[in-house]
Amino acid sequence: MKIGKTRAVDAYIPTASMADIAFLLIVFFMITTVFQVDKTVLVLPRSDVRSEVVKGSAFIVVTEGGFLKVSDGKEDTHPIDQSDVLSFAVDLMSKNSEQPIVLKVDHNVKWHTVDQILDQLGQAHAKNLQFLTDLKVKQEKFE
Amino acid sequence: MKLEKKKSNPEIPTSSMADIAFLLIVFFMLTTVISATKGIEHQLPQQDKKTTENIEKEDSIYIKVNADNTFTVDKEAPASIDGVGMLKDYLYPKLSNNWKKPIIIYVNPEAKYESMIAVLDVVKQLEAQLIKEKNIPNLTITIPTQAEAETWGYQ
Repeated sequence: MKIGKTRAVDAYIPTASMADIAFLLIVFFMITTVFQVDKTVLVLPRSDVRSEVVKGSAFIVVTEGGFLKVSDGKEDTHPIDQSDVLSFAVDLMSKNSEQPIVLKVDHNVKWHTVDQILDQLGQAHAKNLQFLTDLKVKQEKFE
Repeated sequence: MKLEKKKSNPEIPTSSMADIAFLLIVFFMLTTVISATKGIEHQLPQQDKKTTENIEKEDSIYIKVNADNTFTVDKEAPASIDGVGMLKDYLYPKLSNNWKKPIIIYVNPEAKYESMIAVLDVVKQLEAQLIKEKNIPNLTITIPTQAEAETWGYQ
């Protein structure tokens, strides 16, 4: 019996599913993407009790030097004078009375700076506050 | 001469689809920040409430955060903020008997912000424990501002 000529098959890598994988990755990144409104680097105090910050929360940032920055949750943070926190908060509350406000304060800041901010937030009838913290790391004893 | 007509199958060109998709992936990978922003929730007191009860210092649990990295609770001796965990043992029996007892955290203006967070963290841990064990609603935690503390005499 005569065996037929072996035909040369072109070697190729199947790429049909490439787009599917790529779109799957896109969906993942689209869901997990959060555009940060504040990128100020500071050392946060640590705590065990922590809950997720609500998306769209307003930010009040206080650096170690006592400089203030604010964001309404939509735009990036911008510097502000301490006495202007009240007008900022009043403006926020007029748009949404339940607006959550996140306080991102350096761990070394003296309480009187935070106290003045809380005072103004109280005057603006702010309700929902969140003190931003880092996770407390349990210290192991090496003896 | 009869020309032979080649019949070609209609198709949508998808060869560039992967390129576009990967371009989008690169964009999202560069802009993505995996959200790690978490913190301690706190409700500010509402001044427009009709029932504004004046709480006596004696009826409440009064925690004072001092300027020298210490804290005092009620009439106990001052303790270092590093040992703030023991506050839980002090508060637990009091609050499990009466969870309505208001907790006032007065912070000295010269105290560090992290000292207040350390105390608030312990109180919030206890709140979570009591909610789990006794199914109670939230505890009444107040952090009076300097102006409020002067008005109410919490100093």
